Amino acid sequence: MPSKKSLHIESSGQLCIYCGACVGICPLNCIYLDETRITFDERVCTRCEICVKACPVGAIEID
Amino acid sequence: MVQNLKTDVLVIGAGPAGSMTAKWAAKHGAKVLMIEKRQEIGSPVRCGEGMSKEWLKEVEIKPGRWINVEVEGARIYSPSEKVFEINEKHAGNEVGYVVERDEFDKQLAIDAANAGVEVLLKTAATSLLKDGNRVVGVKAKAFGEPFEIRAPVTIGADGFESQVGRWAGIPTNIAMRDMDTCLQYRMTNVDCDVRYCDFFLGRVAPGGYVWIFPKGEGLANVGIGVQVSQVSSPADARTYLDRWIANHPGYAKGKKIDMVGGGVSISAPLKQTVADGIMLVGDAARMIDPLTGGGIANGCIAGKICGTVAAEAAAAGDPSKEFFQKYEKGWRARLEEKLYRNWLAKEKLVTLSDTTFDKVVDALAGVRLEKLNVHNILRAVHEKYPEVTKEFEAFL
Ligand SMILES: Cc1cc2nc3c(=O)[nH]c(=O)nc-3n(C[C@H](O)[C@H](O)[C@H](O)COP(=O)(O)OP(=O)(O)OC[C@H]3O[C@@H](n4cnc5c(N)ncnc54)[C@H](O)[C@@H]3O)c2cc1C
Ligand code: SF4
Ligand code: SF4
Repeated sequence: MPSKKSLHIESSGQLCIYCGACVGICPLNCIYLDETRITFDERVCTRCEICVKACPVGAIEID
Repeated sequence: MVQNLKTDVLVIGAGPAGSMTAKWAAKHGAKVLMIEKRQEIGSPVRCGEGMSKEWLKEVEIKPGRWINVEVEGARIYSPSEKVFEINEKHAGNEVGYVVERDEFDKQLAIDAANAGVEVLLKTAATSLLKDGNRVVGVKAKAFGEPFEIRAPVTIGADGFESQVGRWAGIPTNIAMRDMDTCLQYRMTNVDCDVRYCDFFLGRVAPGGYVWIFPKGEGLANVGIGVQVSQVSSPADARTYLDRWIANHPGYAKGKKIDMVGGGVSISAPLKQTVADGIMLVGDAARMIDPLTGGGIANGCIAGKICGTVAAEAAAAGDPSKEFFQKYEKGWRARLEEKLYRNWLAKEKLVTLSDTTFDKVVDALAGVRLEKLNVHNILRAVHEKYPEVTKEFEAFL
Protein backbone atom coordinates (compact mmCIF):
# COMPACT_ATOMS: atom_id res chain seq x y z
CA MET A 1 0.00 0.00 0.00
CA PRO A 2 1.43 3.39 -0.88
CA SER A 3 2.20 5.49 2.17
CA LYS A 4 0.72 8.96 2.61
CA LYS A 5 2.40 11.56 0.44
CA SER A 6 4.66 13.85 2.37
CA LEU A 7 3.82 17.49 2.87
CA HIS A 8 6.63 19.93 3.37
CA ILE A 9 6.32 23.55 4.43
CA GLU A 10 9.47 25.48 3.64
CA SER A 11 9.23 27.52 6.81
CA SER A 12 12.85 28.11 7.67
CA GLY A 13 12.53 31.50 5.99
CA GLN A 14 13.76 30.46 2.58
CA LEU A 15 10.30 30.71 1.06
CA CYS A 16 7.61 31.07 3.73
CA ILE A 17 6.68 34.65 4.64
CA TYR A 18 4.60 33.62 7.69
CA CYS A 19 1.39 35.06 6.30
CA GLY A 20 -1.10 32.57 7.72
CA ALA A 21 -2.98 32.01 4.46
CA CYS A 22 -2.53 28.24 4.71
CA VAL A 23 -3.65 28.24 8.35
CA GLY A 24 -6.94 29.97 7.63
CA ILE A 25 -7.98 27.76 4.76
CA CYS A 26 -6.87 24.31 5.92
CA PRO A 27 -10.21 22.51 6.27
CA LEU A 28 -8.87 20.42 9.14
CA ASN A 29 -7.27 23.31 10.98
CA CYS A 30 -4.05 21.36 11.25
CA ILE A 31 -1.47 24.09 10.56
CA TYR A 32 -0.41 26.41 13.37
CA LEU A 33 1.61 29.60 12.98
CA ASP A 34 3.31 31.45 15.81
CA GLU A 35 5.30 34.42 14.56
CA THR A 36 7.96 32.68 12.48
CA ARG A 37 7.30 29.13 13.53
CA ILE A 38 4.94 26.83 11.67
CA THR A 39 3.84 23.53 13.06
CA PHE A 40 1.65 21.13 11.23
CA ASP A 41 -0.16 18.03 12.41
CA GLU A 42 1.04 15.26 10.14
CA ARG A 43 -1.55 12.79 11.49
CA VAL A 44 -4.61 14.95 10.83
CA CYS A 45 -3.61 16.25 7.39
CA THR A 46 -5.35 14.49 4.49
CA ARG A 47 -2.99 15.86 1.81
CA CYS A 48 -5.92 17.65 0.17
CA GLU A 49 -3.43 20.19 -1.24
CA ILE A 50 -5.70 23.17 -0.63
CA CYS A 51 -2.95 24.89 1.35
CA VAL A 52 -0.57 24.43 -1.57
CA LYS A 53 -2.87 26.56 -3.73
CA ALA A 54 -3.54 29.09 -0.99
CA CYS A 55 0.13 29.85 -0.34
CA PRO A 56 1.00 33.04 -2.24
CA VAL A 57 4.67 32.19 -2.57
CA GLY A 58 4.67 28.44 -3.20
CA ALA A 59 6.26 27.43 0.09
CA ILE A 60 4.27 24.21 0.47
CA GLU A 61 5.14 21.10 -1.45
CA ILE A 62 3.49 17.73 -1.51
CA ASP A 63 5.24 14.81 -3.12
CA MET B 1 5.66 29.05 36.14
CA VAL B 2 3.34 31.70 34.79
CA GLN B 3 0.33 32.25 37.04
CA ASN B 4 -3.12 31.24 35.93
CA LEU B 5 -5.40 34.23 35.40
CA LYS B 6 -9.07 35.13 35.71
CA THR B 7 -10.97 37.90 33.98
CA ASP B 8 -14.52 38.83 32.91
CA VAL B 9 -13.81 39.17 29.22
CA LEU B 10 -10.88 37.53 27.43
CA VAL B 11 -10.03 38.82 23.95
CA ILE B 12 -7.78 36.65 21.77
CA GLY B 13 -5.91 38.74 19.21
CA ALA B 14 -4.97 42.42 19.29
CA GLY B 15 -5.84 43.40 15.72
CA PRO B 16 -8.35 46.19 15.09
CA ALA B 17 -11.35 43.95 15.86
CA GLY B 18 -9.84 42.68 19.11
CA SER B 19 -8.74 46.08 20.37
CA MET B 20 -12.12 47.65 19.59
CA THR B 21 -13.98 44.83 21.32
CA ALA B 22 -11.69 45.05 24.34
CA LYS B 23 -12.01 48.81 24.58
CA TRP B 24 -15.80 48.83 24.42
CA ALA B 25 -16.11 45.99 26.92
CA ALA B 26 -13.87 47.91 29.35
CA LYS B 27 -15.77 51.15 28.76
CA HIS B 28 -18.92 49.31 29.78
CA GLY B 29 -17.37 48.26 33.04
CA ALA B 30 -15.94 44.78 32.41
CA LYS B 31 -12.55 43.56 33.54
CA VAL B 32 -10.85 42.79 30.23
CA LEU B 33 -7.69 40.91 29.28
CA MET B 34 -6.44 40.94 25.67
CA ILE B 35 -3.75 38.47 24.60
CA GLU B 36 -1.62 38.73 21.46
CA LYS B 37 0.75 36.08 20.20
CA ARG B 38 3.05 38.51 18.46
CA GLN B 39 5.73 40.50 20.22
CA GLU B 40 4.60 43.71 18.58
CA ILE B 41 1.00 44.72 17.97
CA GLY B 42 0.39 45.69 14.33
CA SER B 43 3.65 44.25 13.05
CA PRO B 44 4.41 42.71 10.64
CA VAL B 45 1.72 44.46 8.60
CA ARG B 46 -0.47 42.16 6.51
CA CYS B 47 -2.51 44.79 4.73
CA GLY B 48 -2.89 47.03 1.68
CA GLU B 49 -3.60 49.84 4.15
CA GLY B 50 -6.53 51.35 2.25
CA MET B 51 -9.68 52.27 4.15
CA SER B 52 -12.79 54.40 3.83
CA LYS B 53 -13.29 56.97 6.51
CA GLU B 54 -16.98 57.70 7.09
CA TRP B 55 -17.27 54.94 9.73
CA LEU B 56 -14.51 56.18 12.02
CA LYS B 57 -16.80 58.56 13.93
CA GLU B 58 -19.36 55.85 14.56
CA VAL B 59 -16.83 53.78 16.49
CA GLU B 60 -15.09 56.85 17.99
CA ILE B 61 -11.66 56.45 16.43
CA LYS B 62 -9.98 59.83 16.26
CA PRO B 63 -7.71 60.79 13.37
CA GLY B 64 -4.07 60.37 14.34
CA ARG B 65 -0.62 59.99 12.97
CA TRP B 66 -1.63 56.64 11.49
CA ILE B 67 -3.13 58.55 8.57
CA ASN B 68 -0.59 58.39 5.80
CA VAL B 69 -2.28 59.78 2.67
CA GLU B 70 -5.78 61.11 2.09
CA VAL B 71 -6.89 60.13 -1.40
CA GLU B 72 -9.45 61.90 -3.61
CA GLY B 73 -10.77 58.87 -5.37
CA ALA B 74 -10.35 55.43 -6.80
CA ARG B 75 -9.69 54.39 -10.39
CA ILE B 76 -10.91 51.09 -11.79
CA TYR B 77 -8.91 49.78 -14.76
CA SER B 78 -10.36 47.22 -17.18
CA PRO B 79 -8.10 44.60 -18.79
CA SER B 80 -7.41 46.88 -21.77
CA GLU B 81 -6.86 49.65 -19.20
CA LYS B 82 -9.86 51.77 -19.83
CA VAL B 83 -10.42 53.77 -16.67
CA PHE B 84 -13.44 54.52 -14.56
CA GLU B 85 -12.94 57.05 -11.82
CA ILE B 86 -14.86 57.05 -8.57
CA ASN B 87 -14.39 60.30 -6.74
CA GLU B 88 -15.27 61.37 -3.27
CA LYS B 89 -18.48 63.05 -4.37
CA HIS B 90 -20.27 60.13 -5.90
CA ALA B 91 -18.71 57.48 -3.74
CA GLY B 92 -20.35 59.17 -0.74
CA ASN B 93 -17.14 59.20 1.27
CA GLU B 94 -16.36 55.60 0.38
CA VAL B 95 -12.83 56.57 -0.54
CA GLY B 96 -10.56 57.70 2.20
CA TYR B 97 -7.17 57.05 3.64
CA VAL B 98 -4.08 55.07 3.04
CA VAL B 99 -2.84 54.39 6.55
CA GLU B 100 0.17 53.16 8.47
CA ARG B 101 -1.47 49.95 9.60
CA ASP B 102 1.06 49.23 12.35
CA GLU B 103 0.48 52.70 13.83
CA PHE B 104 -3.28 52.26 13.48
CA ASP B 105 -3.33 48.92 15.27
CA LYS B 106 -1.09 50.27 18.01
CA GLN B 107 -3.31 53.32 18.47
CA LEU B 108 -6.39 51.13 18.92
CA ALA B 109 -4.50 48.98 21.44
CA ILE B 110 -3.44 52.15 23.29
CA ASP B 111 -7.07 53.33 23.35
CA ALA B 112 -8.05 49.93 24.76
CA ALA B 113 -5.29 50.02 27.38
CA ASN B 114 -6.30 53.55 28.36
CA ALA B 115 -9.86 52.32 28.85
CA GLY B 116 -8.52 49.82 31.39
CA VAL B 117 -7.78 46.73 29.29
CA GLU B 118 -4.84 44.54 30.40
CA VAL B 119 -2.67 43.47 27.46
CA LEU B 120 -0.34 40.47 27.31
CA LEU B 121 2.14 40.18 24.43
CA LYS B 122 3.82 37.05 23.16
CA THR B 123 0.91 35.14 24.62
CA ALA B 124 -0.86 32.71 22.33
CA ALA B 125 -4.08 30.82 22.95
CA THR B 126 -3.33 27.17 22.17
CA SER B 127 -6.70 25.55 22.94
CA LEU B 128 -10.00 26.25 24.65
CA LEU B 129 -11.05 25.39 28.18
CA LYS B 130 -14.54 23.96 28.19
CA ASP B 131 -17.14 23.15 30.79
CA GLY B 132 -19.37 20.74 28.88
CA ASN B 133 -20.06 22.64 25.67
CA ARG B 134 -19.43 26.06 27.14
CA VAL B 135 -16.16 27.84 26.52
CA VAL B 136 -14.75 29.06 29.84
CA GLY B 137 -11.35 30.39 28.80
CA VAL B 138 -8.18 29.19 27.13
CA LYS B 139 -4.99 27.31 27.58
CA ALA B 140 -2.25 29.69 26.57
CA LYS B 141 1.48 30.00 26.32
CA ALA B 142 3.32 33.12 27.39
CA PHE B 143 6.95 33.27 26.31
CA GLY B 144 6.65 29.54 25.71
CA GLU B 145 5.30 28.73 29.19
CA PRO B 146 1.87 27.12 29.47
CA PHE B 147 -0.84 28.54 31.73
CA GLU B 148 -4.61 28.99 31.83
CA ILE B 149 -6.90 31.97 31.59
CA ARG B 150 -10.48 31.59 32.82
CA ALA B 151 -13.21 33.94 31.68
CA PRO B 152 -16.99 33.70 31.37
CA VAL B 153 -16.80 35.54 28.04
CA THR B 154 -14.13 34.64 25.48
CA ILE B 155 -13.77 36.56 22.20
CA GLY B 156 -12.13 35.05 19.12
CA ALA B 157 -10.52 38.01 17.33
CA ASP B 158 -7.66 35.96 15.92
CA GLY B 159 -7.96 37.17 12.35
CA PHE B 160 -8.03 35.24 9.09
CA GLU B 161 -6.46 32.14 10.66
CA SER B 162 -9.72 31.83 12.62
CA GLN B 163 -8.66 28.91 14.77
CA VAL B 164 -10.41 29.89 17.98
CA GLY B 165 -13.85 29.68 16.37
CA ARG B 166 -13.10 26.29 14.91
CA TRP B 167 -11.83 25.04 18.26
CA ALA B 168 -15.22 26.11 19.64
CA GLY B 169 -17.04 24.18 16.93
CA ILE B 170 -18.31 27.26 15.08
CA PRO B 171 -18.05 26.50 11.37
CA THR B 172 -15.78 29.19 9.96
CA ASN B 173 -14.21 27.02 7.28
CA ILE B 174 -14.08 28.59 3.86
CA ALA B 175 -13.93 26.97 0.45
CA MET B 176 -11.24 27.71 -2.10
CA ARG B 177 -13.62 29.93 -4.03
CA ASP B 178 -14.24 31.95 -0.87
CA MET B 179 -10.65 33.07 -0.40
CA ASP B 180 -8.16 35.25 -2.20
CA THR B 181 -4.48 34.48 -1.77
CA CYS B 182 -2.65 37.80 -1.54
CA LEU B 183 0.83 39.16 -1.99
CA GLN B 184 2.01 42.73 -1.82
CA TYR B 185 5.24 44.63 -2.24
CA ARG B 186 5.87 48.05 -0.86
CA MET B 187 7.71 49.72 -3.72
CA THR B 188 9.64 52.93 -3.97
CA ASN B 189 10.45 55.00 -7.03
CA VAL B 190 7.17 54.15 -8.78
CA ASP B 191 4.99 56.44 -10.93
CA CYS B 192 1.78 56.30 -8.92
CA ASP B 193 -0.68 59.15 -8.49
CA VAL B 194 -0.95 60.08 -4.85
CA ARG B 195 -4.55 61.25 -5.37
CA TYR B 196 -5.91 57.81 -6.23
CA CYS B 197 -6.15 54.22 -5.14
CA ASP B 198 -5.96 52.17 -8.34
CA PHE B 199 -7.55 48.78 -9.03
CA PHE B 200 -6.79 46.59 -12.06
CA LEU B 201 -9.41 43.96 -12.87
CA GLY B 202 -9.70 40.93 -15.12
CA ARG B 203 -7.25 38.24 -16.14
CA VAL B 204 -4.33 40.12 -14.57
CA ALA B 205 -5.69 38.80 -11.26
CA PRO B 206 -8.23 35.98 -11.67
CA GLY B 207 -11.05 36.37 -9.16
CA GLY B 208 -9.34 39.33 -7.51
CA TYR B 209 -7.50 42.47 -8.54
CA VAL B 210 -4.16 44.24 -8.53
CA TRP B 211 -4.12 47.24 -6.20
CA ILE B 212 -1.92 50.31 -6.02
CA PHE B 213 -2.35 52.30 -2.83
CA PRO B 214 -0.12 55.40 -2.74
CA LYS B 215 1.99 56.11 0.32
CA GLY B 216 3.43 59.42 -0.94
CA GLU B 217 6.71 60.43 -2.57
CA GLY B 218 6.90 57.64 -5.13
CA LEU B 219 6.11 55.00 -2.53
CA ALA B 220 3.14 52.64 -2.95
CA ASN B 221 1.67 49.35 -1.83
CA VAL B 222 1.46 47.22 -4.97
CA GLY B 223 -0.46 44.04 -4.31
CA ILE B 224 -2.62 41.31 -5.71
CA GLY B 225 -5.38 38.96 -4.67
CA VAL B 226 -6.13 35.80 -6.66
CA GLN B 227 -9.12 33.57 -5.94
CA VAL B 228 -7.70 30.28 -4.64
CA SER B 229 -10.05 28.22 -6.82
CA GLN B 230 -8.51 29.91 -9.87
CA VAL B 231 -4.91 29.19 -8.87
CA SER B 232 -3.40 26.81 -11.39
CA SER B 233 0.10 26.37 -10.04
CA PRO B 234 1.84 27.08 -6.74
CA ALA B 235 2.88 30.71 -6.15
CA ASP B 236 0.41 32.03 -8.73
CA ALA B 237 -0.15 35.16 -6.64
CA ARG B 238 3.53 35.99 -6.96
CA THR B 239 3.69 35.01 -10.62
CA TYR B 240 0.71 37.23 -11.54
CA LEU B 241 1.96 40.17 -9.49
CA ASP B 242 5.47 39.99 -10.90
CA ARG B 243 4.03 39.78 -14.40
CA TRP B 244 1.81 42.81 -13.84
CA ILE B 245 4.75 44.82 -12.55
CA ALA B 246 6.97 43.74 -15.46
CA ASN B 247 4.28 44.92 -17.90
CA HIS B 248 4.03 48.37 -16.34
CA PRO B 249 7.21 50.40 -16.86
CA GLY B 250 6.20 52.95 -14.20
CA TYR B 251 6.36 50.11 -11.67
CA ALA B 252 8.96 47.85 -13.26
CA LYS B 253 11.55 50.54 -12.55
CA GLY B 254 10.57 50.59 -8.87
CA LYS B 255 12.36 48.88 -6.03
CA LYS B 256 10.76 46.53 -3.55
CA ILE B 257 11.38 47.35 0.08
CA ASP B 258 8.87 45.10 1.80
CA MET B 259 6.79 42.03 1.07
CA VAL B 260 3.68 40.75 2.79
CA GLY B 261 1.13 38.07 2.09
CA GLY B 262 -2.01 36.68 3.55
CA GLY B 263 -5.47 35.34 3.05
CA VAL B 264 -8.62 37.35 2.55
CA SER B 265 -12.03 35.73 2.84
CA ILE B 266 -14.52 36.68 0.14
CA SER B 267 -17.37 34.54 1.43
CA ALA B 268 -21.00 35.22 2.18
CA PRO B 269 -21.61 36.13 5.83
CA LEU B 270 -21.33 33.20 8.26
CA LYS B 271 -24.53 31.71 9.64
CA GLN B 272 -23.24 31.61 13.19
CA THR B 273 -20.69 33.73 15.04
CA VAL B 274 -21.49 32.90 18.69
CA ALA B 275 -21.68 29.83 20.91
CA ASP B 276 -21.91 29.33 24.67
CA GLY B 277 -19.18 31.42 26.27
CA ILE B 278 -17.72 32.70 23.01
CA MET B 279 -18.20 35.33 20.30
CA LEU B 280 -16.19 35.83 17.10
CA VAL B 281 -15.38 39.20 15.56
CA GLY B 282 -13.53 40.63 12.56
CA ASP B 283 -11.72 38.37 10.10
CA ALA B 284 -12.17 35.49 12.55
CA ALA B 285 -15.91 35.80 11.83
CA ARG B 286 -15.24 36.23 8.07
CA MET B 287 -16.53 39.81 8.10
CA ILE B 288 -14.37 41.04 5.24
CA ASP B 289 -16.26 42.78 2.45
CA PRO B 290 -16.24 40.11 -0.29
CA LEU B 291 -16.20 42.67 -3.09
CA THR B 292 -13.46 45.03 -1.90
CA GLY B 293 -11.51 42.69 0.37
CA GLY B 294 -11.48 45.41 3.04
CA GLY B 295 -11.93 44.19 6.60
CA ILE B 296 -10.66 46.90 8.92
CA ALA B 297 -13.88 48.91 9.05
CA ASN B 298 -16.21 45.95 9.50
CA GLY B 299 -14.00 44.48 12.23
CA CYS B 300 -14.09 47.76 14.15
CA ILE B 301 -17.81 48.32 13.69
CA ALA B 302 -18.64 44.79 14.84
CA GLY B 303 -16.04 45.12 17.62
CA LYS B 304 -17.90 47.99 19.21
CA ILE B 305 -21.10 45.95 19.29
CA CYS B 306 -19.29 42.82 20.47
CA GLY B 307 -17.51 44.60 23.32
CA THR B 308 -20.71 46.18 24.53
CA VAL B 309 -22.57 42.85 24.58
CA ALA B 310 -19.58 41.11 26.21
CA ALA B 311 -19.66 43.55 29.13
CA GLU B 312 -23.43 43.19 29.48
CA ALA B 313 -23.18 39.39 29.50
CA ALA B 314 -20.44 39.45 32.12
CA ALA B 315 -22.47 41.83 34.30
CA ALA B 316 -25.60 39.71 33.92
CA GLY B 317 -23.64 36.54 34.62
CA ASP B 318 -25.15 35.06 31.46
CA PRO B 319 -22.60 34.22 28.76
CA SER B 320 -24.99 31.92 26.93
CA LYS B 321 -25.43 31.83 23.19
CA GLU B 322 -28.96 33.06 23.76
CA PHE B 323 -27.65 36.20 25.45
CA PHE B 324 -25.07 36.64 22.68
CA GLN B 325 -27.89 36.85 20.11
CA LYS B 326 -27.83 40.53 20.92
CA TYR B 327 -24.43 40.69 19.24
CA GLU B 328 -25.34 38.26 16.49
CA LYS B 329 -28.37 40.37 15.59
CA GLY B 330 -26.59 43.66 16.21
CA TRP B 331 -23.72 43.16 13.81
CA ARG B 332 -25.99 41.66 11.19
CA ALA B 333 -28.37 44.62 11.36
CA ARG B 334 -25.42 46.92 10.74
CA LEU B 335 -23.37 44.95 8.18
CA GLU B 336 -25.05 41.88 6.78
CA GLU B 337 -27.16 43.36 4.00
CA LYS B 338 -24.17 45.06 2.36
CA LEU B 339 -21.95 42.03 2.87
CA TYR B 340 -24.51 39.84 1.17
CA ARG B 341 -25.15 42.25 -1.69
CA ASN B 342 -21.42 42.67 -2.32
CA TRP B 343 -20.95 38.92 -2.16
CA LEU B 344 -23.57 38.48 -4.91
CA ALA B 345 -21.87 41.15 -7.01
CA LYS B 346 -18.50 39.49 -6.47
CA GLU B 347 -19.86 36.08 -7.45
CA LYS B 348 -20.90 37.63 -10.75
CA LEU B 349 -17.72 39.63 -11.28
CA VAL B 350 -15.39 36.66 -10.94
CA THR B 351 -17.12 35.02 -13.91
CA LEU B 352 -16.79 37.98 -16.30
CA SER B 353 -14.57 37.72 -19.34
CA ASP B 354 -11.99 40.39 -20.08
CA THR B 355 -14.15 41.59 -23.00
CA THR B 356 -17.12 42.12 -20.70
CA PHE B 357 -14.98 43.94 -18.13
CA ASP B 358 -13.75 46.20 -20.89
CA LYS B 359 -17.28 47.01 -21.98
CA VAL B 360 -18.50 47.71 -18.46
CA VAL B 361 -15.64 50.06 -17.67
CA ASP B 362 -15.83 51.68 -21.11
CA ALA B 363 -19.53 52.40 -20.66
CA LEU B 364 -18.89 53.93 -17.27
CA ALA B 365 -15.83 55.92 -18.26
CA GLY B 366 -17.86 58.52 -20.13
CA VAL B 367 -20.77 59.03 -17.77
CA ARG B 368 -21.19 60.99 -14.58
CA LEU B 369 -23.07 58.95 -12.08
CA GLU B 370 -25.09 60.84 -9.53
CA LYS B 371 -24.71 58.12 -7.00
CA LEU B 372 -22.61 55.02 -7.21
CA ASN B 373 -24.71 51.93 -6.78
CA VAL B 374 -25.22 48.72 -8.67
CA HIS B 375 -28.48 49.93 -10.23
CA ASN B 376 -27.02 53.15 -11.64
CA ILE B 377 -23.97 51.34 -12.95
CA LEU B 378 -26.12 48.81 -14.77
CA ARG B 379 -28.29 51.52 -16.29
CA ALA B 380 -25.24 53.29 -17.66
CA VAL B 381 -23.84 50.06 -19.09
CA HIS B 382 -27.24 49.11 -20.54
CA GLU B 383 -27.37 52.28 -22.63
CA LYS B 384 -24.14 51.50 -24.42
CA TYR B 385 -23.92 47.70 -24.34
CA PRO B 386 -27.40 46.27 -23.75
CA GLU B 387 -26.15 42.75 -24.41
CA VAL B 388 -23.82 42.97 -21.40
CA THR B 389 -26.50 43.77 -18.85
CA LYS B 390 -28.39 40.62 -19.76
CA GLU B 391 -25.93 38.77 -17.56
CA PHE B 392 -26.90 40.99 -14.65
CA GLU B 393 -30.66 40.73 -14.78
CA ALA B 394 -30.74 39.38 -11.25
CA PHE B 395 -29.63 42.79 -10.02
CA LEU B 396 -32.26 44.85 -11.80
C1 LIG C 1 -2.50 41.27 1.84
C2 LIG C 1 -3.70 41.84 2.52
C3 LIG C 1 -4.13 43.13 2.19
C4 LIG C 1 -5.24 43.68 2.82
N1 LIG C 1 -5.60 44.97 2.52
C5 LIG C 1 -6.61 45.56 3.18
C6 LIG C 1 -6.93 46.93 2.94
O1 LIG C 1 -6.28 47.62 2.15
N2 LIG C 1 -7.97 47.47 3.62
C7 LIG C 1 -8.70 46.75 4.54
O2 LIG C 1 -9.65 47.30 5.13
N3 LIG C 1 -8.41 45.47 4.79
C8 LIG C 1 -7.38 44.85 4.13
N4 LIG C 1 -7.08 43.54 4.41
C9 LIG C 1 -7.86 42.83 5.42
C10 LIG C 1 -7.46 43.33 6.81
O3 LIG C 1 -6.07 43.21 6.96
C11 LIG C 1 -8.19 42.53 7.87
O4 LIG C 1 -9.56 42.56 7.58
C12 LIG C 1 -7.96 43.08 9.28
O5 LIG C 1 -6.65 42.96 9.67
C13 LIG C 1 -8.88 42.33 10.24
O6 LIG C 1 -8.63 42.69 11.57
P1 LIG C 1 -8.81 41.62 12.72
O7 LIG C 1 -8.60 42.37 13.98
O8 LIG C 1 -10.06 40.87 12.53
O9 LIG C 1 -7.65 40.57 12.49
P2 LIG C 1 -6.05 40.77 12.46
O10 LIG C 1 -5.69 42.16 12.14
O11 LIG C 1 -5.54 39.69 11.59
O12 LIG C 1 -5.62 40.50 13.97
C14 LIG C 1 -5.63 39.22 14.54
C15 LIG C 1 -4.60 39.17 15.64
O13 LIG C 1 -4.75 37.99 16.40
C16 LIG C 1 -3.49 37.47 16.70
N5 LIG C 1 -3.65 36.04 16.97
C17 LIG C 1 -3.96 35.07 16.07
N6 LIG C 1 -4.04 33.87 16.68
C18 LIG C 1 -3.79 34.09 18.00
C19 LIG C 1 -3.71 33.22 19.14
N7 LIG C 1 -3.93 31.91 19.02
N8 LIG C 1 -3.42 33.76 20.33
C20 LIG C 1 -3.18 35.10 20.45
N9 LIG C 1 -3.23 35.96 19.41
C21 LIG C 1 -3.53 35.46 18.19
C22 LIG C 1 -2.66 37.78 15.48
O14 LIG C 1 -1.28 37.77 15.77
C23 LIG C 1 -3.18 39.16 15.11
O15 LIG C 1 -2.44 40.18 15.72
C24 LIG C 1 -5.97 42.93 3.78
C25 LIG C 1 -5.56 41.64 4.10
C26 LIG C 1 -4.44 41.09 3.48
C27 LIG C 1 -4.00 39.72 3.85
S1 SF4 D 1 -2.93 19.34 2.66
FE1 SF4 D 1 -5.03 19.90 3.27
S2 SF4 D 1 -5.29 18.97 5.31
FE2 SF4 D 1 -3.07 18.98 4.89
S3 SF4 D 1 -2.34 20.90 5.81
FE3 SF4 D 1 -2.80 21.34 3.65
S4 SF4 D 1 -4.92 22.12 3.67
FE4 SF4 D 1 -4.56 21.07 5.65
S1 SF4 E 1 0.66 30.32 3.15
FE1 SF4 E 1 2.80 29.87 2.54
S2 SF4 E 1 3.94 31.72 3.09
FE2 SF4 E 1 1.98 31.85 4.16
S3 SF4 E 1 2.40 30.93 6.20
FE3 SF4 E 1 1.62 29.28 4.90
S4 SF4 E 1 3.47 28.31 4.03
FE4 SF4 E 1 4.11 30.32 4.84
